[in-house]
Amino acid sequence: MKKLILFVSCLIFSLSVLAHGPTPQKVQESITVNVSPEKAWELVKDFGAISTWLSAAKETKIEKRGEDTYRIITLESGDKLDEKLRSTDEDLKKIRWEITKGNVPFTDFNAYMIVSKGSNDNESVIQWTARFYRVYKLNPPIPEGQDDATAKAAVQGFVDSGLAGLKKVLESK
Amino acid sequence: MSIRNKLFLLLLMGMLIISLIFTFLSQIEPVNRAYITNQGENTVSVVDLNTLSVDQRIAVGSSPLGVAIVPSKNLAVIGNVDSKNLSIINLDKNKVVSTIPLDTAPLGIVANASGDKVFITSWFKNQVLALSTHDFSVLHSFSVGITPSGIAFNEKYNAIVVANRDADTVEIYDADNYKLRKKVKVGSHPYGISTNSSFILVANVYDDTISIINMENWVQKVIKVGFYPYNAIVHEEKAYVTNAQGDNISIIDLKTFQEIKKINTGETPENISIDKINNRLIVTNWGSDSVTIIDLQTQEPIAQIKTGLQSRAFGQFIYTK
Repeated sequence: MKKLILFVSCLIFSLSVLAHGPTPQKVQESITVNVSPEKAWELVKDFGAISTWLSAAKETKIEKRGEDTYRIITLESGDKLDEKLRSTDEDLKKIRWEITKGNVPFTDFNAYMIVSKGSNDNESVIQWTARFYRVYKLNPPIPEGQDDATAKAAVQGFVDSGLAGLKKVLESK
Repeated sequence: MSIRNKLFLLLLMGMLIISLIFTFLSQIEPVNRAYITNQGENTVSVVDLNTLSVDQRIAVGSSPLGVAIVPSKNLAVIGNVDSKNLSIINLDKNKVVSTIPLDTAPLGIVANASGDKVFITSWFKNQVLALSTHDFSVLHSFSVGITPSGIAFNEKYNAIVVANRDADTVEIYDADNYKLRKKVKVGSHPYGISTNSSFILVANVYDDTISIINMENWVQKVIKVGFYPYNAIVHEEKAYVTNAQGDNISIIDLKTFQEIKKINTGETPENISIDKINNRLIVTNWGSDSVTIIDLQTQEPIAQIKTGLQSRAFGQFIYTK
C-alpha cells in the first residue's frame, strides 16, 4: 500500500513538472538579524547547511551532478527533496535554487534569498522569496489539497520557520 | 476703446499665448506610458516613461496578467486569469470603461495592425479567441496546441503566432481565415513569443534557450541564454530576452546569433517592451514588484521603479501618442 501511495504521488509530481496552472504563487518574507550582513551571508550561502536552521530538514547532503550542485534533503516525514543550486551572487549577497524532485503539496518551486544591510553595521535583513504553483493544473473544480491555498500554506510554513531558525542560529553564534 | 476694454483685450491675448505655449509643450512631450499588470494585487500601474514615475493604479479583475495596447481605439485590454474576464481601459481617462466576461482564463493578448481585432490564448480550452474591439464580442474561436501561452501578430504575413507551452510547438495561423499555415517544433516549454518582420522569437523556458524562426524558409536557430528565459523581443537587429531565474536579460546580436551581453534587472524579470521615444527597455520584475529601465545606448540599467505586487505585464505594454 505504501508503495502504491509513493507511486501515485511520484506520478502526480512527474505530471506536475510537465505543466502548471496559470498563476504563480508568491511567498516573500524578511527577518532582521542582529549580526553583520557578511556573517549572515556566510550561513545563507552555505547550500549544504540548511539542516542547521530549517527544522523540517532532518538531514542534508550535497551531491555534485556534472557541473551542478544539488542538496538532497531528508524531511522529518522521511520524504526526500532534491534541490538544485542555481546561482550565488557575492556582490548582491543573493542565492537562488529550485526544487527538482520531491513529494510536496506544490510544484515548480524556485526561490531566492537576499542578505542586505540593516540599520547599522551589525544588523542585517534576510529576505526569502519563493515562487511556485499549486499541484492541480487543470480547469476547476480543484481537488482538495491541490489548490493555491494548500500550496501557499505549505511554503509559508517552510519560509516562516526557516527565517526564524536562521535568526536563532546566527544570533546564538 | 475704453481702458477697461483694452485691459480685457490684453488679458485675452495673454491667455491665448499661454494656451498656445501649453499646446506646444504637450506636443514636444508625447504621451509615453507603460501599463503594468500587478497579478498579486489586481491592479494595473500606469508608469509615465518620460518622468519615470507611477501616475496611478487602476483596479481591474482578479489576477491580471496579459496586456495589449490598441492605439487606434485608445484602449488597453487587460486579461484577468482568475476572474476569467477582460478589463478594458480607456487610455485618455485611465479608467476601466467595461469588463468583458469570458468563459476561460485569458493568457496572452495581442491586437492586429488596424486594431479592429484582438486575439487571446485560452489556457484551459486550448483555443485562440478572436474578439472585435468594437464591442468585444467573440468573432471566432479555434483549437490550437496544448496550453497556448504567448501570442503575437505578424503584420508582414498577416499571421497570428502562438506558443503552445506543453506541446513544445509554435503555430502560425492566418489572421483572417484562422487556417493553420505552419507548425514548428521548438524547445521545451515555450512561453513568451514575439514576431518582427520575418522572424519569430520564442523563449524555451526549460531549455534555457530561445528559438529564432525565419518565416521565409522556416530555418530555426537555437541560442543559449540565461536561466529560465521567459520572453524575447526584437529591436533593431538585436533580441532582448528576460531570464526569469537569472535576474537579468540577455542581448543577442541577430547578425551573428550570439549573446553579446547580460544586464542585471530586478528579481524574476518576466516581460519586456521598448520605449522607442527614450530608446530604453522596460522590464517587469515579478519578484521585486517593480520595473527596471535600461538605456539601450549605454546598455546599462538607469532606474528601478516600484509598481505593484507581482508585476508581470505579459504582452506589449507601452502606449505612445
